[in-house]
Amino acid sequence: MSRPGTSTASGPASGTSRRGLLALGGAALAGTAAVGLAGCSDDDKPAKAAAPADRVPFYGTHQAGIATPAQDRLAFATYDLTVSGTVAENRAALRQLLQQWTAAAAAMTQGKTVPGDNDNPAAPPADTGEAYGLSPANLTITLGLGGSLFDKRFGLAGKRPAALADLPKLPPENLDPERSGGDLAIQACADDPIVAFHVIRNLARIGRGTVVMRWSQLGFGNATGNGGGKETPRNLMGFKDGTRNIPGDDTSLMDGHVWVGDETDQPWMRGGSYLVARRIRMRIEAWDRDFLQDQENVFGRAKYTGAPLTGAKETDQPDFAKKAAGGDPVIPADAHIRLAAHENNGGVRILRRGYSFTDGIVPATGELDAGLFFIAYQKDPRTQFIALQRKLGAHDALNEYIQHVGSGLFACPPGARAAGTGWAQELLA
Amino acid sequence: MPISTTTPRVLRATGLLAIAGLVATGCAKSKSDSAPKGAVKVAINLTDDGCKPSPASVPAGPVTFQVKNVSANKVTEAELLNGDTIMGEKENLTPGLSGTFSLRLNGGKYQVYCPNAKTEKTDFTVTGSSATPSQDPAVKAALTQATTGYQAYVIAEVDKLVPATKQFTDAVRAGDMDKAKAAFAQARYYYEEVEPVAESFGDLDPDIDARVDDVDDQSKWTGFHRLEKALWQDKSLTGMSPVADKLDADVAKLKTLVATTTYQPAQLANGATELLDEVASSKVTGEEDRYSHTDLSDFEANVSGAQKAFDLLKPALDKTDAALSTTVNTQFAAVLAALQPYKQGNGYVDYSTVGDDKRRVLTQKVDALAEPLSQVAAKVNG
Repeated sequence: MSRPGTSTASGPASGTSRRGLLALGGAALAGTAAVGLAGCSDDDKPAKAAAPADRVPFYGTHQAGIATPAQDRLAFATYDLTVSGTVAENRAALRQLLQQWTAAAAAMTQGKTVPGDNDNPAAPPADTGEAYGLSPANLTITLGLGGSLFDKRFGLAGKRPAALADLPKLPPENLDPERSGGDLAIQACADDPIVAFHVIRNLARIGRGTVVMRWSQLGFGNATGNGGGKETPRNLMGFKDGTRNIPGDDTSLMDGHVWVGDETDQPWMRGGSYLVARRIRMRIEAWDRDFLQDQENVFGRAKYTGAPLTGAKETDQPDFAKKAAGGDPVIPADAHIRLAAHENNGGVRILRRGYSFTDGIVPATGELDAGLFFIAYQKDPRTQFIALQRKLGAHDALNEYIQHVGSGLFACPPGARAAGTGWAQELLA
Repeated sequence: MPISTTTPRVLRATGLLAIAGLVATGCAKSKSDSAPKGAVKVAINLTDDGCKPSPASVPAGPVTFQVKNVSANKVTEAELLNGDTIMGEKENLTPGLSGTFSLRLNGGKYQVYCPNAKTEKTDFTVTGSSATPSQDPAVKAALTQATTGYQAYVIAEVDKLVPATKQFTDAVRAGDMDKAKAAFAQARYYYEEVEPVAESFGDLDPDIDARVDDVDDQSKWTGFHRLEKALWQDKSLTGMSPVADKLDADVAKLKTLVATTTYQPAQLANGATELLDEVASSKVTGEEDRYSHTDLSDFEANVSGAQKAFDLLKPALDKTDAALSTTVNTQFAAVLAALQPYKQGNGYVDYSTVGDDKRRVLTQKVDALAEPLSQVAAKVNG
């Protein structure tokens, strides 16, 4: 599987080579998978040659990093405010922080250093420097506001959108409070990991004394495609992820499912979106010893082509009604794509933008701590993510191999419109 | 004290005195080590025979030393010494590597020192006196008060350190474990207040304050932490009298040295930041006093020493950057308030009873102070 720019096809791999290999035995299949996965990595970046632009506009109606075609790398962090003054003081501190963050984010996305003095020999440079001279690598920086922000400290309780209600318990989950929640969230995505990390580090530094980082997550491999002409990537289970995702450039789907519109109870959220983050650990070792047919039944797709079990190529529409000779559905009743499909959920869709992660091993077991850092954007999580996850949590065959271990829900305000304006300005006015 | 045997000099290079007019070489805009504008360049070629500076004499002011190792195998670093004080250095230059360090130098006799060469020390002369950067006379006067005030403070604290140490070492020599334990934290307190100053005097700080991980040869380990281990872990003071004697001698040496040491305003500020870095790197982690768990006492001493330096600079900083001054002041108060819950009697609770979640909060408070504090040096630098 190749990145755009190296392959003639930007759609699903059509190909004699793939088909040819499929006809071979298991060893060759393993080889194919390895090739596919290697192609997912961005260690060599052929896309650079074909992509003339390396920067995404920062200012606009919507925040960048949602509709933007998913970049290769993620650095995600949440922060807690540590203020302890009066409501007015706290609010001023928050407003100032977000103004500073907005200005710094605007600069970083355009490949500039964090504003401030970087040349005074007697002072620490304003920018930490590790991304100096690098391409911004399509960096986007997206801010989210957690439900905990809307409390007495800032006098914002009355401005909390109904859609930002705390996520209910969604079994089977086993959430680590140290990897969940946060007053503020930053999603930094770029095609270069150091450019993405640079963001969460420098924003923490700018906010020192006002915020502390609560938790962070690095992601790689752009595990979930969202259009943009990129080939659908694979998650760590080796399956294509995002084939039926909302393409970010489909404005009608974006308006219908992702961007908050006039329906909101909080006008400051118009043009924004709700971010759900879930750290989903994969039971990699168990998955890797599951036989191929079962793996494909769990997802409802063929592992290598990504085609639904009822089709021949990735983009074929799944036929959920189709029965096998014995009368059982070809796409099993508990297959992931059946349960998640919008046809089977009253048209409910979300925009997914997840990344693979690995953080060493689980100390207690010695098994890999790896999986999918799931990120989804939507108009209203109550009718979208929560509804879908309730169903998946109850029936999904995948549950045998995954566990949700971290969680966050954040309201992403609309974009900062122009230089001089700050994130969430309308909320804090 | 976080100095380890593998990298002691790196840390010392960031120490108080080395910062005299120090020019950061890690600036974000520098692809290579950059020199300050107008700096005189001095080349030092490391050879196994020695390290002669060229030219051997320069006028006072900013000087950038360009150190290069073409093929010397025994020599990998060059230091600029003023008496026993390391003013600046570049180390770990194996054959083929080069690097720079920059200083603002006043007139006087210096030496370029390259350990392990046939001729280790070569004279280096600075002529005239460094032109003081133009500055508001009121600010300048306030800064002069700050530096003389700091000198007096260091002398006063070391004056207390000497008898407090003796109380501790007397108990060690007498084999009185309880008394020694009781005297340990108080003696350290005076040392921790002024530690960055001690760190500028070559081996004095390692001799007084090295931790077990800092020494290659355990038989040569001396100082407070050697005795701490004897008291709390070995539970035996056998053979510790010579260590106690040496600690007294080293502390006496420190007293002699600080009597004549003078400071620059930026040194006060950077020294204060460094004290907080010490807190975050070795006190909060519990590494410093791992046998006695008296880390919080050292913590307070570091903060107290930093606050003293800041308080002295504050009148000048109020004129050059009042907002920064307010921020730092507020954060000092927040750090001290965070320590309050752990006070117990004259000291602090056993640090091993403080959980990770609480240690994290302490670190965050220290970081919230150290970040703005790190901006102060440039504002009092003229």
